[in-house]
Amino acid sequence: MTPTRHALTLLLTVSALPLAAAAAEVPLPKDLPPYGADRAIPALNITQRTLPNGLAVWLVNRPGFPKVSAYLAVRGGNAHDAADRQGITGFMAGLLNEGTATRTSQQIAEELQTIGGELGAFASADAVFVQGSCLSTGLPTLINLLADVTRHPNFPEKEVELAKANTLQGLLAQEAQPAFKANRAFNTAIFGDHPYRFTSIAPQVVKATTPESLRALHAARFQPNQAVLVISGDLQEAATLKLITAALGDWKVTGEALKPLKEAPATAAHQFLLLPRPGSVQSTLRVGRPALSATHPDYIPMQLANTILGGSFGSRIVKNIREDKGYTYSPGARAAGMQVGGSYQVRADVRTEVTAASLMEIFYEMDRMGTTPVGEAELQSAKRYMGGTYLFQNQMLRALTGTLATYWVNGQKPEALSEFIPKVNAVKAEEVRRIGRTYFASKDQTVVVVGDEAKAKAELEQFGPVQILKN
Amino acid sequence: MRFRSLTAFTLGAALLAGPAGPAKRPAWRLPIEVKTLPNGLTVVVSEDHSLPTVGVSVVYRVGMRLEPKGRTGFAHLFEHMMFQGTPVAPKGVFDRVIQGGGGLNNGSTRYDYTNYIESAPVSALEPILWLEADRLKALDFSPQNLKNQQEVVKEEIRVNVKNQPYGTFWLDLPAAAYTRWENNHDGYGSFEDLDHADLKDVQAFHGSYYTPSNAVLGIAGDVKPAEVFALVEKYFGHIPGKPKPALPDLKEPLNTAEIRLVKTDALARVPAVAVGWKMPARGSKDHAPAAVLAELLIGGDASRIYLGLVKGKALLLNASGGLNFPLGGAWDYDGQTLFSLFSLYKPNADADKVLAALDEIIAAVATQGVTPAELERTKTKMVADFYSGLEIPLSRADSLAKAQALWGSAAHLNEIPRLIEGVTVDDLKRVAATYLTRPNRTVIDYHTAAAKP
Repeated sequence: MTPTRHALTLLLTVSALPLAAAAAEVPLPKDLPPYGADRAIPALNITQRTLPNGLAVWLVNRPGFPKVSAYLAVRGGNAHDAADRQGITGFMAGLLNEGTATRTSQQIAEELQTIGGELGAFASADAVFVQGSCLSTGLPTLINLLADVTRHPNFPEKEVELAKANTLQGLLAQEAQPAFKANRAFNTAIFGDHPYRFTSIAPQVVKATTPESLRALHAARFQPNQAVLVISGDLQEAATLKLITAALGDWKVTGEALKPLKEAPATAAHQFLLLPRPGSVQSTLRVGRPALSATHPDYIPMQLANTILGGSFGSRIVKNIREDKGYTYSPGARAAGMQVGGSYQVRADVRTEVTAASLMEIFYEMDRMGTTPVGEAELQSAKRYMGGTYLFQNQMLRALTGTLATYWVNGQKPEALSEFIPKVNAVKAEEVRRIGRTYFASKDQTVVVVGDEAKAKAELEQFGPVQILKN
Repeated sequence: MRFRSLTAFTLGAALLAGPAGPAKRPAWRLPIEVKTLPNGLTVVVSEDHSLPTVGVSVVYRVGMRLEPKGRTGFAHLFEHMMFQGTPVAPKGVFDRVIQGGGGLNNGSTRYDYTNYIESAPVSALEPILWLEADRLKALDFSPQNLKNQQEVVKEEIRVNVKNQPYGTFWLDLPAAAYTRWENNHDGYGSFEDLDHADLKDVQAFHGSYYTPSNAVLGIAGDVKPAEVFALVEKYFGHIPGKPKPALPDLKEPLNTAEIRLVKTDALARVPAVAVGWKMPARGSKDHAPAAVLAELLIGGDASRIYLGLVKGKALLLNASGGLNFPLGGAWDYDGQTLFSLFSLYKPNADADKVLAALDEIIAAVATQGVTPAELERTKTKMVADFYSGLEIPLSRADSLAKAQALWGSAAHLNEIPRLIEGVTVDDLKRVAATYLTRPNRTVIDYHTAAAKP
């Protein structure tokens, strides 16, 4: 055991006392009315079809609000790019609405305005998402535009040149953001040489891009049997299917099958990495590790454990380092599940002089998840919170549509949506402790700090050797 | 949305079918019922039974403009104190009860109002109303909680302003453009003023502005108005009424000479420019035209500034802006506001080139107007976005409470599509020529610390 580790243990013991005391929460006010009876959530009717060319279609009719939302997802994202061209898929996605065989970028933008609409595309690690919305009266136009930018983008020379110049300048601007720098260093540290390490396209990849290379990539990736189209809102299923068939039914399969990704790493080194940022008045902290894919059996229990640890305003980390200590404004934590792996991350921006103190508390809370069982009241509260926020998010058409498209990319069925809350409610306290022990132990976490080099280094050295990063 | 914040808070947004509107723009209206209790509290309810959820918003008619002199940032610090417990429900109870009910909560401070919002399964409505009534009555004025939130707010300012490039453009523009202290002071607050705030200040602010007559309670979702009115009567009815605090008129005339500043930003890697013009008062005949003009100029990929300066001349890397941007939208301001834009500019550009190109675009609208087709599609997009802003119960409750607090009429919210419809080409020409002038303009040019080669 290093002296640092010892110091850590000592501090943990000290800080455990007031918190243990605080754990016995004050009784609720005697006049506070109880919660009412829960009302049933109406079933979501999802129409599922597969067109003869392989395109999956999921439709959700939700009348009562005059808008529709659409997501078309195509398998193959930034993680499927060659190592020396990573991010090219995201760059290509950004240009889909900048001109097609029959429309200029301006014509697309103006046609969208006539239906109160918007349409754009972006790439995740696993897929490209073409996303749009409009007044429900404009759905025929939206489907045509979405089909056009998906099938016939022509990557005009002038648009590609402008996108290259703007991306290069945007990359430079991004370097000023501590959160961006911290995320990049964190992803690189935890994913090693796995393509999930990708955070942002490199300037040399942008410079080497040509309209031809983008057309080739689009032709290879965009296949109807690798795609789903999800549309939600005030729509009629039969009429919508007809429109979809007319716009996308003759889309042919031409490319080669996508090579599957290897499994992402399950662990990373316990290390302390400091990325100097001159002029920083805070330390931007990232504490975490590689974790679970979206379909791993532990994924839902981990989401629940995360709600208790750091993923909600009432979570332990927020109570501790914000509401008790005042070290930070915006602490948080997230379990991100992708197709072949994922990550777990606790984040906070803290004033430089409390860098070590904040880390100490984060470690303490992470370790406590694996050692002490969560009390029944806290567990129930976290379950209700997850149920409520899930309902909250899926009230919104865009979130609902995006959630369903992401399910498809991850190989899940739409029923996963209604199974989510029952699965959360089935998790037992002992399972939360097992998740804590397995994934949250402080000895297994990678720590990244972006901040003042001299001051933050002295703070971090209390834990062990610090490696200074260049970017 | 987990964190109480001063910065922009937006939500995506079901309405009832109303009378038919012009072709291609479906007309939708929210059902709205309003009641004022004897103590002055106004309650606005909008029902929708599609999902078992409810949104709640309490809007107090006090914001950064009315904070005491020598106490910059106090309205926002006070907002944080509203979450620090009461004599009956100590710190922690509020979050515990709402989270345990499956709900989310937040608060935000703006120039002319402060709002407190909750969204939850409807089973949590009663405890939420109880908690809102409780913190309207009294707070736990404890030194520990004040000290804790002074630290949290300073961290908020560090993360959002001091540790960010151009973190302050939305503070810098009003500071330069306005002459009255109420309009031009730093609403996030100096650390010195924040540190000097004491419990007497907290108590006095609560006593003056946190009164039933100065508040509007908006509730939307799976509820029936009569049931809600009865619950509100039960939990808020016995709170003593006080006279509504006076609202000073803080309007300023348009500026008569351009204001131009250069700031060097040590953290920025790319130069940027912020431009603001003083704009007409809420509800004036120029208000809706100004909103449509702002949309036409910078509302998205088909807007004139995007097509002209991001595309076209390729001077700007991006273009974001709007009426009452970025702390609000075109319909939720009351006092003085700006039409603001903020853009990163490219190596081939400088502020003069950007301003000359903007002037060209504005002059074209002011002298030649726009085609009917461009005006029509701009209106369609605005109406669609207005509906999006009312998609979910929380945003309906909040928009209705703000309309009641700022316009004096929640029902006015349903009139906004009609205001948009009524704008003509001549209105746009007049508003462009009157407000978007060089003398009325404030410009801040942000340079990077390293000199240009």
